[in-house]
Amino acid sequence: MTINKLFLSSFLFLCQFISAQQDTISLQEVKISDSQLKKFSSTQSVQQLNDSIISKNQASLTSLLNYNTVIYFKENGLGMVSSPSFRGTTAQQTAVIWNGININSQLLGQTDFNTITTQDFNSIVVRAGGGSAIYGTSAIGGSIHLNNELDFKDTFSNEVKLQYGSFNTFGAHYKLVASNDKWSSQFSLSRNSSDNDYDYLGTTKKNENGQYENSSYSLNVGYRFDSKNIIKLYSQFFDGERHFSGTLTAPSKSKYLDLNTRNLVEWDGFYGSFVSKVKVAFLTEKYKYFEDKEESFFTNGKAETFIVKHDLSYNINSRINLNSIIDFTQTTADGSDLLSKKRQVTSGVLLMNHQLLEKLEYQLSLRKEITNTYDSPFLYSVGAKYEATKKYTVKVNASRNFRIPSFNDLYWQQGGNPNLRPENAYQYELGQEIGFKTIRFSATAFLNKINDLISWKPNSSGIWQPENTKKVTTYGLESNFTFDKKIGNHAIIWSNNYAYTVSENEETNLQLIYVPFHKLTSTMSYSYKSASFFCQFLYNGKVFTSTDNFYELKDYSVTNLGFNYEFGENNMFKAGFQVLNVLNEKYQSVVSRPMPGRNYSINLIFKL
Amino acid sequence: MNFKKVVLLALLSPFFFASCSNDEDDKIETPLGAYDNGVLILNQGGFGHGDASLSFVSNDYVSFQNNIFSVVNPTLTLGDTGQDVGLYNDFAFVVLNYSNKIEVINRYTMVHVATIDSGLSNPRYIAFANGKGYVTNWGNGGSATDDYVAVINLSTYVVSSKIPVVEGPERILEYNNKVYVAHQGGYGYGKTLSVINTDSNTVAATIEVGDVPNSLEVSNGSLYVVCGGKPVYAPLETAGKLVKINLANNTVSSTIDFAAATHPSNLDIESNSIYYTVGSDIFKVNVDGTTLPTTALFSTTAQGVYGVYSFAVKNNSIYVGDAVDYSSNGKVYVYSSTGTLNKEYTVGVIPAGFYFNE
Repeated sequence: MTINKLFLSSFLFLCQFISAQQDTISLQEVKISDSQLKKFSSTQSVQQLNDSIISKNQASLTSLLNYNTVIYFKENGLGMVSSPSFRGTTAQQTAVIWNGININSQLLGQTDFNTITTQDFNSIVVRAGGGSAIYGTSAIGGSIHLNNELDFKDTFSNEVKLQYGSFNTFGAHYKLVASNDKWSSQFSLSRNSSDNDYDYLGTTKKNENGQYENSSYSLNVGYRFDSKNIIKLYSQFFDGERHFSGTLTAPSKSKYLDLNTRNLVEWDGFYGSFVSKVKVAFLTEKYKYFEDKEESFFTNGKAETFIVKHDLSYNINSRINLNSIIDFTQTTADGSDLLSKKRQVTSGVLLMNHQLLEKLEYQLSLRKEITNTYDSPFLYSVGAKYEATKKYTVKVNASRNFRIPSFNDLYWQQGGNPNLRPENAYQYELGQEIGFKTIRFSATAFLNKINDLISWKPNSSGIWQPENTKKVTTYGLESNFTFDKKIGNHAIIWSNNYAYTVSENEETNLQLIYVPFHKLTSTMSYSYKSASFFCQFLYNGKVFTSTDNFYELKDYSVTNLGFNYEFGENNMFKAGFQVLNVLNEKYQSVVSRPMPGRNYSINLIFKL
Repeated sequence: MNFKKVVLLALLSPFFFASCSNDEDDKIETPLGAYDNGVLILNQGGFGHGDASLSFVSNDYVSFQNNIFSVVNPTLTLGDTGQDVGLYNDFAFVVLNYSNKIEVINRYTMVHVATIDSGLSNPRYIAFANGKGYVTNWGNGGSATDDYVAVINLSTYVVSSKIPVVEGPERILEYNNKVYVAHQGGYGYGKTLSVINTDSNTVAATIEVGDVPNSLEVSNGSLYVVCGGKPVYAPLETAGKLVKINLANNTVSSTIDFAAATHPSNLDIESNSIYYTVGSDIFKVNVDGTTLPTTALFSTTAQGVYGVYSFAVKNNSIYVGDAVDYSSNGKVYVYSSTGTLNKEYTVGVIPAGFYFNE
């Protein structure tokens, strides 16, 4: 096939290595599209949240990550716009990667974590630290990977989950997995809605105009032609309607609609020591904002992204793997307040993983993008992992990462600045992991120097405009402690995360707003036979809410309890009961926007 | 408010506007008792943050206090996005744009009197005439046809009627029992004034001025209007104008054009001199002047003021409000009539207006 030769030559162009072929196909490369996640992340800290953790948590990605990782979230009230701060960085400096494709909004440069339904994915992986060399824009603080794993083994399962809770919160989720050695398919359908009219503790007010509903589906199909060729389709759709809630002092009557579609077709070829993945993706995002939900007028914006990608992996020998990626991305965007623009970016990526010694592995990543819209720096990552003993591992990594200006930054009619440069960051980290049978401990220290931070401020004519101004240094420590023990029918898992984060504006030496110095999460799960119990705890330290650090939101802690019981033939039924914010903590994640007090949720799962 | 459509960006990306607050102040302040013989400073507060506040500086500069409403009324919150203060009899009417309400307080003691929270939609500025209050309202910013002037009954503190007007009614003033409304334009670009008959509560006349009239004042029977012109991001940028209107017949008696791409604002007239600002610079011209000064009276750049956010002239003192980065507490600078900096205060977030409380 000529097209095949073209890919091959592109690989050769990039790396110029030819060697004897070897037949080692990693199972991971068959199962997930994002093969770099496994192969090129070992010198950094990676945390995987699998099915069992996902199903314990509330349906939004915000809730899952807030209670199980060091990432800090600010939420404009429950279910409203939610944005992360990872390692003290801004919301646009965390990348969300869907099956290997960066899906941060082209308009805003960030992902709203309340528009992702976690149950649509098999695994969600948090990769801390720089990842721009592999994943491109925004992977500065870290990246969140949403993966659908396609397994080619005989499986047939149906699952229905129904959930009902306080504030008329309703959730329904259906998932079908059907596969054999030729086909692998997954289909899931989710629906979530809530009146979300919780009381503001300590006041006579309620959360008004906060109702939301969303539907999503995910369809993933793989077909294996022969031992060498697999075709895969990944398809995802999210349709959400939220009313933006009022605040303690301001009413609201607005409404916001999101419509996101993501489609990816992939052809995987396994040719001896070569693995080729050809990907074509088409992503769309649309929003409509109704200032007054009773009226027909609105403002809107949309972006369409078309991606062609060739990912070629080559095992020189059992110790050295080379991987090249050539990516062409074209995005067109327009909107009622946005100039209509097109952006084309071509990127070349070269990755190498070398098991130098039995105990020492190092990795190199290089990326260069070519585009006419911004000056693209040369990005890289260099890292090493040293397994001193079976129980003790040291990791070190340095990288240069960036965040490209979003369409809103560049082309917002009222103030957009087409001359912006990408934000860029140098990051250094040192991690240590200690693992015993029941206890695992890890600690990672990081330092991140961010230049050319884009911030919107008024110019001398009073027009708000983004500029590359600030320099920010973030540094801190992330740690995880996990205790995992089974004795007979008893099983205990105790997982803890703690982060200390300083994120300082270099000019003023003041902490960035909405970055807590301290964040702690702790989850204890205990199960005995068919019954299980868990307790989740979250502590967020105080955050400053003004750049002069004069105003602040006080720290808060939230505790959730849950109980699950499995019964019926083959444990086909599972019933759960949760008490959220059991201590009725009165807290705000964003100023003037109280979060709910104690509330309840029940769920039923049927497995067929 | 220069936020306009950028507000949506703010709603979508919480990190976008670098600002916020909470009201819990560590220091326990005690009320000064009397807040007269001084200037009330309205601090707009961060949009969506509910931290609008009032500050007070006495005329002799001996007393200064921030958060005077909260100090006197510790259980109450002033509201979100303070837009204007109107002084009438013993009362101060604080217009809170994003809260869609007006707080009525005793202007001398700061004791809360009443709240007007119905009948207002995107309220902007307030004036008083014929025993009634008149408040400009944008309605929905995205609609050009739902704008109105709310008429307030000053004994019951309710909106008694609404006078429909064209898009974007902003500054409003009373003269000879008539009310003059400048249509800055809201989300669009206005270019007219409405004249309201306060007996019939109807629009009696419309006067065409320049693009984007942003401030106005009466002196010697003439109404002076500073029009900012359309900004650079408008489809066609226009320069500002200084327009003089003969109030006897509501006609434009003279217009002075600003240089291209010059966008003046903050008109204030004191002792027969017109003051206005362009960016960080303060200009002064005689009310009868026929040309505009080419050099500024002085510039505020030495204080780091990046565009004068609020401005007033009183008794030979020039007051400038600096919004700094719109997140931090703002600054107020008091200059002599020649531009010597006399006083400097750190006030609340985004100082938006000065109201002389004699």
